[in-house]
Amino acid sequence: MDCANAIETRGLAKTFGETSAVADLSLSVARGEIFGFLGPNGAGKTTSVKMLTGLIRPSHGSGTLLGAPLGDRKTRRKLGYLPELFRYQEWLSGREVLRFHARMMGLRDAKREIERVLDLAALSERGGDRVGAYSKGMQQRLGLAVALLGEPDLVILDEPTSALDPIGRHEVRQILRSLKTHGTTVFLNSHLLTEVEQVCDRIAIVLRGRIVAQGTIAEIIGIQDVVRVRAQSDRALQPVLERFGTVSIDDGAFLVATAHARIPELVQTLVQTGARIFAVEPIEATLEDRFLEITGTPQP
Amino acid sequence: MMYVAILTINELARRRFLLAALCATAVLVALTGWGFTHLMHMHDRHGGPLSVIEIRSMTAVLVVLIAYMFSFVLAVVAVFLAAPSLANDIESGVLLPIVTRPLSRAAILSGKALALAFVVCAYAAASGLAEFAVARAATGYLPPHPFTAIVYLCLLAVVMLVLAFALSTRLSALAGSIVAIVFFGGTWMAGIVGSLGTYYQNTAAINAGIVSQLLLPTDAMWREAVYYLEPAVSVAAFNARHVWPGPFFVLAPPPATMILWTIVWIAALFAVAAYSFTVRDL
Repeated sequence: MDCANAIETRGLAKTFGETSAVADLSLSVARGEIFGFLGPNGAGKTTSVKMLTGLIRPSHGSGTLLGAPLGDRKTRRKLGYLPELFRYQEWLSGREVLRFHARMMGLRDAKREIERVLDLAALSERGGDRVGAYSKGMQQRLGLAVALLGEPDLVILDEPTSALDPIGRHEVRQILRSLKTHGTTVFLNSHLLTEVEQVCDRIAIVLRGRIVAQGTIAEIIGIQDVVRVRAQSDRALQPVLERFGTVSIDDGAFLVATAHARIPELVQTLVQTGARIFAVEPIEATLEDRFLEITGTPQP
Repeated sequence: MMYVAILTINELARRRFLLAALCATAVLVALTGWGFTHLMHMHDRHGGPLSVIEIRSMTAVLVVLIAYMFSFVLAVVAVFLAAPSLANDIESGVLLPIVTRPLSRAAILSGKALALAFVVCAYAAASGLAEFAVARAATGYLPPHPFTAIVYLCLLAVVMLVLAFALSTRLSALAGSIVAIVFFGGTWMAGIVGSLGTYYQNTAAINAGIVSQLLLPTDAMWREAVYYLEPAVSVAAFNARHVWPGPFFVLAPPPATMILWTIVWIAALFAVAAYSFTVRDL
């Protein structure tokens, strides 16, 4: 296995009795990248995350985290984790929760570090309040602060914005980008495709416990884009357009499946034919379209 | 490990468990003290005052009964502290960010167990000494070996604590607590069967008592504690009359090896609990 990667797994599987939660998880996450982990409910995302963090023992397969076998205790010093089910000691203040984690990690200059992550999670003013008095969103912010404590090399976030409002989500995206600039690897398990699309370098889509697609967002969406050509009704144009890719007709316009890079050439060719062109507009597929297609969800 | 222990004690204090337990025990000790003072003013069937020997004999019996009540309270407190401490943290997810820190699960369990064992033993010592002090102040009677008896009651509590921890690594807090209390009650009954077996020289009943004490040494520890609370004169009187002393009196403590076995039992079951917690999925 390549130890240069932050996460590397080969054939990781987990069964609960007769039920297979994860069948074959093989993925690579390079150091310093933001990796999105997508999949429908029940696809095995959280089980996969728990195997990576050592909370669940795999039934089969193996993997490494920051070059060490999964579950290695020393490596946990460099790991930050925000669980999907975020619960902290309600009878402690947010600052005390962080102090407890700082002690377990053996952090030096813990006081400054605690204030740094509280500030990062926009909780500085409420850090002295009891966690029991926090809203769900504030508890998730605290979870994020706990995960970021000690500037870990790898941060695994399981649905980090599920309880946050749009402002909070925007702030988390900013935090993720700033982590990337500091070279931190982020493994992001999220349902929010737009969020993933905005911040992730690479993604994997998991379905029924198997990875069904893995790569950059452009690779996942596909290299072929669709171009809508609106021209004066002229069937003679179709053979010309077919030179660039498959052509279909939608609402009186030609839809040409062609690479984005060939659009200038297509426009030039259309002009040369003397056709009356009203619009040539690229229609780029979204991650959502591709996600729905891969997971077999009927699109509206 | 110590951070988890401090956190556990902190939780008990913040959740007002310590305050509630101390207040309830203070009320109980005060009530028994009031009862003991009334003992001094009781009359015999001829209307005369009770002799000092009668008062002290009666106090000795009452002290054993109060100790029994405290042993039950201790067992229940140990179980209801230990089982939720782990099982609830697992169920609620509070443990998830903790076990992903560079700390072994055995260390987390040790921290919790150490803290709760300290609290339960401190509670046993404080409530026991307060009760003995009240009895002494009211009637002038003090059991022969109060400190030794408290040590055995502490061991009883630690046995229940470890049992509850072991069960809660796999069961919910409620299920683990119920199973532990049922085992405790069952062992107490088996202890009575064993003492009847000794009295009537029935080998099967004697063996039932021994096996139950080996499986869960709470009754053995209770019998050790009782033995050190009984005045020697009472033991001699029972032995002379050749009568079955009942469940609240023992003529001889379990063998000394039982103490060693109890310590081995605690260590072995804790190791099982740590292993069970370490290999389970969270």
